[in-house]
Amino acid sequence: MALSSTTATAAAASFVSGHRGGCSRPSLSSPSFVSAFPRAVAARTRAPPAPARSAAMTVRAQAAGKKSVLIVNTNSGGHAVIGFYLAKDLLAAGHSVTVLTVGDAASDKMNKPPFSRFSELTSAGARTVWGDPSDVGAAVGGGGAAFDVVVDNNGKDLDAVKPVADWAKAAGAGQFLFVSSAGIYTPTDELPHVEGDAVKESAGHVGVEKYIAGEFGNWASFRPQYMIGSGNNKDCEEWFFDRIVRGRAVPIPGSGMQLTNITHVRDLASMLALAVENPGAAAGKIFNCVSDRAVTFNGLVKMCAAAAGAEPNIVYYDPAAVGVDAKKAFPFRNMHFYAEPRAAKEALGWTSTTNLPEDLKERFAEYASSGRGEKEMSFDLDDKILSA
Amino acid sequence: MAATVSLKSSLLLPSPISDFSGASLSISSQTRRRSWQPRGARMQVAASADSKNILVMGGTRFIGVFLSRLLVKEGHQVTLFTRGKAPITQQLPGESDAEYAEFSSKVLHLKGDRQDFDFVKTSLSAKGFDVVYDINGREAVEVAPILDALPNLEQYIYCSSAGVYLKSDLLPHFETDAVDPKSRHKGKLETESLLESRDVNWTSIRPVYIYGPLNYNPVEEWFFHRLKAGRPIPVPGAGNQITQLGHVKDLATAFGLVLGNPKASKQVFNISGAKYVTFDGLARACAKAGGFPEPEIVHYNPKDFDFGKKKAFPFRDQHFFASIEKATSELGCTPEYDLVEGLTDSYNLDFGRGTFRKEADFTTDDMILGKKLVSVWASRRPCKADGCLGVMSAVDDRHGC
Repeated sequence: MALSSTTATAAAASFVSGHRGGCSRPSLSSPSFVSAFPRAVAARTRAPPAPARSAAMTVRAQAAGKKSVLIVNTNSGGHAVIGFYLAKDLLAAGHSVTVLTVGDAASDKMNKPPFSRFSELTSAGARTVWGDPSDVGAAVGGGGAAFDVVVDNNGKDLDAVKPVADWAKAAGAGQFLFVSSAGIYTPTDELPHVEGDAVKESAGHVGVEKYIAGEFGNWASFRPQYMIGSGNNKDCEEWFFDRIVRGRAVPIPGSGMQLTNITHVRDLASMLALAVENPGAAAGKIFNCVSDRAVTFNGLVKMCAAAAGAEPNIVYYDPAAVGVDAKKAFPFRNMHFYAEPRAAKEALGWTSTTNLPEDLKERFAEYASSGRGEKEMSFDLDDKILSA
Repeated sequence: MAATVSLKSSLLLPSPISDFSGASLSISSQTRRRSWQPRGARMQVAASADSKNILVMGGTRFIGVFLSRLLVKEGHQVTLFTRGKAPITQQLPGESDAEYAEFSSKVLHLKGDRQDFDFVKTSLSAKGFDVVYDINGREAVEVAPILDALPNLEQYIYCSSAGVYLKSDLLPHFETDAVDPKSRHKGKLETESLLESRDVNWTSIRPVYIYGPLNYNPVEEWFFHRLKAGRPIPVPGAGNQITQLGHVKDLATAFGLVLGNPKASKQVFNISGAKYVTFDGLARACAKAGGFPEPEIVHYNPKDFDFGKKKAFPFRDQHFFASIEKATSELGCTPEYDLVEGLTDSYNLDFGRGTFRKEADFTTDDMILGKKLVSVWASRRPCKADGCLGVMSAVDDRHGC
């Protein structure tokens, strides 16, 4: 079933349709994927890889083929943290990593995580540079060794990504990976979103996926949703903790039954790393880059409250009736937004390790020690909702 | 076990599918015709070496009707254990006389009451069986005498239920999830525990909601009655609760696949459709399946009503769905039917022919609609979500689409 390179739609469609009528064939996501590739096994642990294990993995990685990887990373937003974790995973596995962060090393944006923690990358052997995606060559310097793999985590449309893709192709990169978005799926009555489902053709990410499918023999696209994890550049669970620690009600739009994927970023990194180490298995494929469990808004509040040692206090509201924009009043899309990582499990033998109740405890510990819970904060939209 | 390629020729449908309902067919059914044939049909000669003496507890109502045909076609000797209250066999809609004659001449009947444990023990040990498919077992006490009677049993295949899972905010349910010892399916759980504790090779299948022709549970039928009557569909809550349907023929196929399969030994498998669906989405899918126009959906708060003993909606008012990934990856089996195709199959072979199990009863609908009439019908608006064509009431901004 390993597909040779083909267009995104055809690959994804045949991935889905290949299941039809297929009973009694031997399993393709066999346990041998996991045991042959210690990365996936190691990724189960939450702690960063210990030196002893890196050494062991370095030996195996060399056997598997040490790669030179360039990660072109956005300088802000929800995706910023992905490049940070991916770099760490690849470094621990013995690969050579360069991180090109968009913009200026001196910009204020670099004071925020994960950029403020880049010493963790450089001390592990990464090269960190800054520059413009429209001139990757200038940023990474000419005359150096070519990159085997280029990962673009820099943009959501061709304006941002085409120059990177074009440069990568000209520079002879063997594999191009794109961090896309599960937000491009067309809403549907039938869930979850699986690879191959219809996407919004006008979405910038879709344009990028189609472009790279046409340009590269070996490409893959990863579609994430929401992430938690230390070093995140964008709030996620903090929105809930902010209210819970101040004894405030948590306003939830609608019924609170809406399902979404909240994934620990280590899972995204492990999936991308598996693709780097298994280019043949990843080639031509789309991967929903999410954990294998969805959570309801209600459930998320309960888990955040439990992590904070508090009782959940939810107030439901109808955004239209109250007169607020749900996009501003709540951190997640006010609808089911639910994808499953079926392709990664099947083709890469990837396993999800996100365990929200446990992960949120760790997140709360960091939140609590940060002092954010004591800061003055205004809750204007909340107050409007609660007084309605 | 016989390998399966795709199931092309039809057992239960003469081709093409459009013979039955002509214009009312959806395009998707016409261009991607799904048909189902028991796996063994092309392997009859080879299968005789693997032929088993199989006992099916039940087998005359729904799942067993399809499963028994599959097993007979594969060359096994199949005995149905029933009280004989319903006919042992019935010709299925679309099944040719010849095929029906072939099946009904081969399937055997053991008449008895499985609650009569002494009879179960003596009759089964007298006959001896290689494999038991327990389709209608509810309590562990019913299973013990069967195990006692058949000490050399090769496999006990049990129809359990995903209803055993403890309700959770984290979904889908996986086979490793916590189960609810207080659920109304606790008998199924206790049976699974009994099987685990006995020295028997067991397999347990946990379906979610089963649908398809001959369904005696008014699942799709509930929607079809309303659609046919041109009535609105009352859906509790926001209508974005997510459920999951699995076609009975896919379930039968899965049951067939675990037979003699070492990967199924002492394992539990969720078996259902590959995708899940919202309540509102299911109403729309049923409409598509039966060639009805887009349905009027009316949401209501069940707490505002006292329906007494009547059930106002055929599904549990919560998210309820399970991942079938274990069966897919370990047994190599995936469902043939997607939701609209499967509902169309059910409509064409059952409700669409004028057959159903339960008469339409709109009592609870009228209670809901009477109360909602003014607020809902006066102020319907289109859903604002991108690409969604739904219509909704004044209260909702979008409908969890």
